[in-house]
Amino acid sequence: MPKKLVISPNKCTGCGICMLACSYRHFKVINPARSRIRVVRLPHEPVDSPIYCIQCGLCISACPFNALSRDLRIGAVKVDPEKCTGCGICVHVCPYGAASRDPKTHKALICDLCDGDPECVKVCSEGVLLYLDPDDAAEYKRIAFSRLQRREVTPLRPDTR
Amino acid sequence: MADGKLYGYAGKILRVNLSKAKIVEEDLRPDLLKLYLGGTGYAVRMLWDSLEKGIDPLSPKNLLIACTGPLTGTLTPCSGSVEFAFKSPLTGIFGQTRAGGRFGPKLKYAGYDFIIVEGASDKPVYLSIMDGSPELRDASHIWGKTVHEATDILLEEVGDPEASVACIGPGGERLIRYASIMVDYDRAAGRCGGGAVMGSKRLKAIVVNGDRDIEAAKPDEFYEAALEAIKAVSKQGRGSLGQFGTVGGLLGLNESGALPTKNFQTCYYEEAEKMSGQELARKYLLKRRACMGCPIGCGRYVWVPSGPYMTPPHEGAEYETTDMIGVQSMIGSLEPLIRADYLCNTYGIDTISAGNVIAFAIEAYERGLITDEDTGGIKLRWGDADACLKLLELIIERRGIGDLLAEGVKRAAEKIGRGAEDFACHGKGLEVPAHDTRGTSKSFAIQYAIGNPRGACHIEPLWAGMWDFSRSSLGLRELGLPWPPPSRFEEVGVKRGEACRLLWLYGELASILGICRFSMQGGEDEILTPARLSRLVSTLTGWGLTPKDLIKISDRVYTLKRCFNVREGVSRKDDRLPRRLMEPLATGPTKGQRVENLDVMLDETYEALGWDKKTGKPTREKLKELGLDDVAEVIWGG
Repeated sequence: MPKKLVISPNKCTGCGICMLACSYRHFKVINPARSRIRVVRLPHEPVDSPIYCIQCGLCISACPFNALSRDLRIGAVKVDPEKCTGCGICVHVCPYGAASRDPKTHKALICDLCDGDPECVKVCSEGVLLYLDPDDAAEYKRIAFSRLQRREVTPLRPDTR
Repeated sequence: MADGKLYGYAGKILRVNLSKAKIVEEDLRPDLLKLYLGGTGYAVRMLWDSLEKGIDPLSPKNLLIACTGPLTGTLTPCSGSVEFAFKSPLTGIFGQTRAGGRFGPKLKYAGYDFIIVEGASDKPVYLSIMDGSPELRDASHIWGKTVHEATDILLEEVGDPEASVACIGPGGERLIRYASIMVDYDRAAGRCGGGAVMGSKRLKAIVVNGDRDIEAAKPDEFYEAALEAIKAVSKQGRGSLGQFGTVGGLLGLNESGALPTKNFQTCYYEEAEKMSGQELARKYLLKRRACMGCPIGCGRYVWVPSGPYMTPPHEGAEYETTDMIGVQSMIGSLEPLIRADYLCNTYGIDTISAGNVIAFAIEAYERGLITDEDTGGIKLRWGDADACLKLLELIIERRGIGDLLAEGVKRAAEKIGRGAEDFACHGKGLEVPAHDTRGTSKSFAIQYAIGNPRGACHIEPLWAGMWDFSRSSLGLRELGLPWPPPSRFEEVGVKRGEACRLLWLYGELASILGICRFSMQGGEDEILTPARLSRLVSTLTGWGLTPKDLIKISDRVYTLKRCFNVREGVSRKDDRLPRRLMEPLATGPTKGQRVENLDVMLDETYEALGWDKKTGKPTREKLKELGLDDVAEVIWGG
């Protein structure tokens, strides 16, 4: 069974090396705007969080041009660049903001798990990004899901005196 | 570069004239890049060529240059760097100040290696560089706002939460001479008063984001070099620097008698335990934070959730601030320190200078040189946190004695007189930071006295204690670093000058290449040694640059910075230390240590640097050797 990409939360420092490596692996350039993984840093809150594609496949059925399919070997969503028109429906339906369009080609940027060898996992020295067997990955998925139900702690706003 | 394409660079300079509200794009000059590479190296050449000697740094004639280097924003570890270069209103000599965060990389992704800001605007403006279209916009609505408020408003206004903001707070607007430029809320380009230069130009902020590619000349080799370098430097992330931040080293320094305390009277603090990085992590740390591309993550995201010193989450409490504000004035408690740090950040002033000035004021008050009348009734005493915070407010608002202290410790001491100069700790007007000439290493006596390029600084060009205090060779032995290092207290005849020269030239590469010095300080297996830097730069730019070539470029840059200062009137007579920094230390493991042979140490160092011992100018021969013949003509005459 294909492995899953998951994160071990709270460890991310927000360095963004994963984004730079992602653009390098796919385009041989450094450009975080062309990365398939995005690290979000919330101002005034202790949050740095890698937003990545969980390969849910919602975009596959939404694509009006049949440009997206499931690579069964890897378990990743595959973009057919010939068919992709850059319409952006996949970006529209993705609930996590994990799909985007390439600023240069305007075609869909969706995580392809680097053909089963994710570059972001290799470069993350904090051990935030993990590529695990499905059963192990499920543990991290449960943690991520349970975090949605934790009590909200409202941090102080800036310039509170 | 056969095809004329520049690899690693964005390739363009954005020139903004605020007096004429005009923006133009220029190409980088390949001939200058070969000689100066980038960063403050390229910038010092532009400042040397463009600035008239003797201009008022707060006049429209000054330039403010935001600089990146070839390695900035690439996959090189710790390359989330931006440097600002200008003539300093605090020191009157070459000014440069650096911040981490994301601004430098984003500037390159927006298509520019440098921004040159000229002239001054009549009304407050900000520079927006979004979606490839730079423009000046009205900033009257954010003039007077704090850094945190202004940054929030700007990010909303440009409609891109991922943009990066460099802005000034009220400190810069009020021309406090050590006002900082704040990047991404809490990353400070603190030293030398860059914020005041921005304020004098009525430039509140620069906002930038972009989506252009950076390419390497040899993509596969560069990537391999970068991965190897990330792996090496990430060891520091798992070490003390990553886990406890820069302040993680505070206790160790104290035990070695190297923790400046009580306005540099001693280097040992009884209450150090209360100010440690470990204590900070236990009580106030929300999370670690890294600048872009950094596998160390020394940033401390801290807060004080309640009580009289309640402070919202922010990146702060690094070592320099903790010592200069918390230990020098002997506050002995982290909560008021965190609050003071936050105030400095959001009002936009340098924590090192502010802490230095506050400790100086306490001592002046103790000696009766300033009185209750001057302070508006605040009783300045060692260890009184509330008095320190009140004094900080006076400085921020330029009220009462705060107005004088906002001019920096040198000017304040001159005005106060009556011996105040003896304990005003600065080098060429720049407030001395939290490393000592007697307790840390005698190399700091030389480094602060010479103060090239920007006055008394511990880290620009490099923390020279790496050699004899930390006993790390930094990969410099092949390049001639004297080894083994002597005792850190030994002054003369131990090749200290030779060592300092090489350490400085290596450190200078950080601000030329556009990376953080923390990637260059540590054991050889966990830093960017000259060999690693050479591999990264060569594969990125396609120019074969050996470690020796890099040091030569560095030498040219370091020497030109000195020449800039010489042109402004600096000579050997200015290469000195205030009396306090030569006096015996009062207590602790380094008790009795003093500086005895400064002049001999300077002779040795000038000799190593190729500077004339009488005048302190780089010799004509040295300048010729570096290809700076035109510069020689200016400082030696034709």
